[in-house]
Amino acid sequence: MLSIGDKTLTCKTLLEYLKSLPRDTLDTLYQHPATCLAVFRELPELSRHFIFRVLFVKRPIPQVTIAYWIPPPEPGRDVGDIAILHRQSVQVLMDMCIWHDVKDGFGNPAIKLSDTFRENFKIATLGGGKPWTMSAALESDPHHRDIEFLEKYAMDRWESVLQFLVQPKQGATAISRDAMRTLLHAGLIESDESENPNMTITSAGFQFLLLDTASQVWFFILKYLETVTERGLSLVECLTFLFKLSFSTLGKDYSMEGMDNKLLTFLQHLREFGLVYLRKRSSGRFYPTRLALNITAGENKDLIDAPKHGNLIIETNYRVYAHTTSELQIALLNIFTEIEGRFPDMIVASITRTSVRSAFQKGISAEQIISFLRQHCHPQMYKQQTVIPITVADQIRLWELERERLEITEGVLYKDFMSVHDFSLLSNFASSKGVLIYSDEKQRTMVVTKKGHPSIKQFWKEQSK
Amino acid sequence: MPKKNKNKRQDETYSDDDEGEELEGVPQASKRNVEEKGEQSTPKDQYGAFDFRTQLELRDDYSHRPLWIAPNGHIFLESYSPVYQHAKDFLITIAEPVCRPEFIHEYKLTAYSLYAAVSVGMQTHDIIEYLRRLCKTTLPLGICEFIQSCTLSYGKVKLVLKKNRYYVESDYPDVIQRLIKHKAIQECMLRPEDGVFSSEKQKSQAIMFTSHQAQMAGGTDITNGKAEGEETSKDSKNGGTVVPEDINDLYEKLDKADDEEDDEKASHTVSFEVNQDRIEQLQKTCIGLDFPLLAEYDFKNDTVNESIKIDLKPSAVLRPYQEKSLRKMFGNGRARSGIIVLPCGAGKSLVGVTACCTVNKKALVLCNSSVSVEQWKQQFKMWSTATDDMICRFTSDAKDKPFNASILVTTYAMISHNQKRAYEAEQTMNWLKEQEWGIMVLDEVHTIPAKMFRRVLTIVQSHCKLGLTATLVREDDKIADLNFLIGPKLYEANWLELQKDGYIAKVQCAEVWCPMTPEFYREYLNGKVSDQKIKLLCGMNPNKFRTCEFLIKYHENRNDKIIVFIDEVFALIHYAKTMQKMYICGKTNQKERMTIIQNFKLNPKVNTIFFSRVADTSFDIPEANVLIEISSQGGSRRQEAQRLGRILRAKKGAVAENYNAFFYALLSQDTREMGYSRKRQSFLINQGYAYRVITPSQLIGMDEEQLHYQTKEEQVHLLEQILAASESDMYEEGVLVDRAGGSHRRVGNMSSMSGADDSVYGEKRRGSKKEHLHYLFKKFRS
Repeated sequence: MLSIGDKTLTCKTLLEYLKSLPRDTLDTLYQHPATCLAVFRELPELSRHFIFRVLFVKRPIPQVTIAYWIPPPEPGRDVGDIAILHRQSVQVLMDMCIWHDVKDGFGNPAIKLSDTFRENFKIATLGGGKPWTMSAALESDPHHRDIEFLEKYAMDRWESVLQFLVQPKQGATAISRDAMRTLLHAGLIESDESENPNMTITSAGFQFLLLDTASQVWFFILKYLETVTERGLSLVECLTFLFKLSFSTLGKDYSMEGMDNKLLTFLQHLREFGLVYLRKRSSGRFYPTRLALNITAGENKDLIDAPKHGNLIIETNYRVYAHTTSELQIALLNIFTEIEGRFPDMIVASITRTSVRSAFQKGISAEQIISFLRQHCHPQMYKQQTVIPITVADQIRLWELERERLEITEGVLYKDFMSVHDFSLLSNFASSKGVLIYSDEKQRTMVVTKKGHPSIKQFWKEQSK
Repeated sequence: MPKKNKNKRQDETYSDDDEGEELEGVPQASKRNVEEKGEQSTPKDQYGAFDFRTQLELRDDYSHRPLWIAPNGHIFLESYSPVYQHAKDFLITIAEPVCRPEFIHEYKLTAYSLYAAVSVGMQTHDIIEYLRRLCKTTLPLGICEFIQSCTLSYGKVKLVLKKNRYYVESDYPDVIQRLIKHKAIQECMLRPEDGVFSSEKQKSQAIMFTSHQAQMAGGTDITNGKAEGEETSKDSKNGGTVVPEDINDLYEKLDKADDEEDDEKASHTVSFEVNQDRIEQLQKTCIGLDFPLLAEYDFKNDTVNESIKIDLKPSAVLRPYQEKSLRKMFGNGRARSGIIVLPCGAGKSLVGVTACCTVNKKALVLCNSSVSVEQWKQQFKMWSTATDDMICRFTSDAKDKPFNASILVTTYAMISHNQKRAYEAEQTMNWLKEQEWGIMVLDEVHTIPAKMFRRVLTIVQSHCKLGLTATLVREDDKIADLNFLIGPKLYEANWLELQKDGYIAKVQCAEVWCPMTPEFYREYLNGKVSDQKIKLLCGMNPNKFRTCEFLIKYHENRNDKIIVFIDEVFALIHYAKTMQKMYICGKTNQKERMTIIQNFKLNPKVNTIFFSRVADTSFDIPEANVLIEISSQGGSRRQEAQRLGRILRAKKGAVAENYNAFFYALLSQDTREMGYSRKRQSFLINQGYAYRVITPSQLIGMDEEQLHYQTKEEQVHLLEQILAASESDMYEEGVLVDRAGGSHRRVGNMSSMSGADDSVYGEKRRGSKKEHLHYLFKKFRS
């Protein structure tokens, strides 16, 4: 999940998000095999290893024993690193409430695997129990949709959300009220309180735009989940459904049978965002799209995300060429480049100090720009070692650093000293206290910190008596 | 950075030129500007960008075509297109390259570039047709009109010197008819009553460059080219990328066009003879009528001037791009005048020598310093069969007897010098004026102001002129004048491609940021010191000194050869003496220079030399592979490129490394140097070079090294030295280009003039002996 603190968006992973949920919610979630498997997939390798070790052990396991479960030593690998890795892997399991702290028969500290997790994880991996995946539709769909169609559908839906962000005034009708509510809730747009609310994009919104699609969807869905209870839906049910969805197959249709009204509403919302495709509300079947498949992968999306063909060419002379006709992409580029010319199938733009600084002013960071460029690189760019020319990336970072060169310290100015003696007396005292910021003997002026001011004032009074 | 007026002082002027006079006799067409016109008619979109979409229509098979052409004359070329090679050759002929980095190259159509295209034999309809085929979209209407307006009248008439008689010649009878109806032209005709006569066009065979091996090299090049072509066509079949058929046809046509224009069309040429004394008037009139005369020299049929019987040595092998450039010059069996642009270190001299050998008539080589005079002589001896007595040097130091020489090498200043000369020199000059030179080679042609050029051209008569340069940029954009003084640009090489093929070194460029120490920065901001001192403060910033020392130590440990450039002589001497290295500045005499350079080449203990501005151009130091730039002249793009050129000569046996040469520009942070560097770098960046920024934190290990100016006391002492330096201590080196005729002599700092001025100075000392005059007359002398 992403949070908007200090005006920068940071990406929370699935695990981080789940960790932030109440413990009993987590336990309820583990009642579904799909959740267990999804969580398991996201765990670090060593943690997964631990789970398998204890999957069939019902007794508590002394922590001393666990301390032995370290990976075999490798040449060139520091023992200290392994210890850290071990500690982290245990900690993750604790945080996720998969392992519980208990005492063993002798009163020693020990570890026990959560029973709920054990049962349902077994079902997910070994089978048995009730079927936990979504049920496929029984009859074949007379209006079958192929993968190509679904891809296009999903991207169209998603881009309309982004398009709305870029130009809230033009796109207001293109997205549903639910999507708009989520955007507002997430702080990606703000509206003034008037009758006909005027939407404007926020700094967070700009940063959101530069993320890759998978992260965008993930962020958006999490923000949406925060509002589900208001809408009368159950968070656990929605999450469970999302997890199930993430294990579905692209291009296959699934039956809507057995879904209650709440879940149908949720499905309807997912349809609006482009995560599932329904031909009609009443068609009784739906198709998941690629956006839904990626949902839980978070930052590990490279495992699943199909390689996308970008269309940006970035040159060492700070030119950017984009083979695109998409208004959305041009609008995105315009955030941090200067667009110079447009051909029917290509635009010419330049990265300049001014254009990048205006992006910084919107709260976008250098890294966000660089990662945006990297995501959308033309295949030709991969012929180079660094993909993005180092000089360009460096320069964008330097422009960012440039803004942080001035440090502001509040202080109090002392001036008009009668004599050099007075001046040096006070400045020496101030520097011995460590509160002197600046002093100029010729001008007989000095600045002390605001904190140090009372004590200097006091000192001066005593001196002048 | 605080805004201070003083920071603006004189900085922008790197004296790239010194004259403001209007150049007369520039064709009307060349003033046409497609850029403005195109931009006026183009709507803007919501982002303020030019929206060409309404004027261009995408073609169906656009993905197989490599070009976009904007109505403002800018052309974008995909370098990864299968037809890139051919499109590139074609574009370089008709348009000016704007920038050529890795993937997409930008060119621009200008009146001059089109003039150049016509003069090497391209036809209007061909240009438009090829562009149409290569373009992804339909051609903008304005562009077609522009090409027509620029090319229709160009290149139709030629001024040919045959058997020492001048003829105006054309393949287009109607054009000739139009010309002779003009009164001023009739006056120039030798026998107006005869009218024009037409003759069979001589079938001229292509020139083979005389060295046997060169032919071989040429031969293999062609077959290679074909083999490549076949391969690509195979590739395209296998790979599924289809090259549209019309582009395929184009290949063949283009290859032909390289050699000569269509044979079948113009088998008759029409010509009339002109009065030799009226050439100048004729040329002006023709330009006024928008039919500029192309000068061509039919040297093969010139029986009046004797052949000088020199040839290329068998060991001289032309590289493919050198041959290509020469083929543009000798494309139709005659010698065209024009400019060839090759990066420094890419073998310009060999091109010059080959051109001289091909024409094989008396040759005059002009360069801009006496050091390069020596180097040209060596080049002639190395590549050609010319012997010592055939080559005559004419400088203030070396005055060989010219009277049976067939190659004369001298400096621009020597020729254009208009004060009294020594008797001996006067004799040589007279001889020089009488000669009818077959070819005139103009080295580093970009450095010469047009005024000086004119003078040279009026003094010396030559049949054709070849300009050589690496950097056809001037800060004042006067470069266009050269088009009509010498001729069009015949060829311009792509730096990045030469680098990839290993013909020039692979250079890693970096700018190193050196923070100003507080004491220096305070002085800098104070603004109470002269502009000179500001320069010194930036250049001698202790952090910069330390960085420089660190880099030198680092590279000396790697067995690299390092050259350091410092503009200010005061700083130069201080740096060199503190670090105990050799230095060369304007004061250093010829002999000492040669000794130092010899030591640098051969002595393993001498690995670093400090240079002042004298070595910016035409100082051949092939060993050097690291260049450190401490200070520079404002925002001169040309100086930057020329300096880079010092380390561009291909390095041996260093293929394994990614880069085999290093260019460091040291900048004092937060000073005006930072601003200049942007501008300085722009030329090289457009050639595809990339500058990495190195911040102080990236110089690992610098704290551990034992370096000078470690303590504050030392630094403050240095500052005091700078502030105490008198004006005469910190004089600046004489600027290379503004010494037309040596009229800029400043009394009292004569020795400060750069080495390039030696020639002028030698003359003066003997001629006018001004030093002994009374000091009261000082101010009238400057």
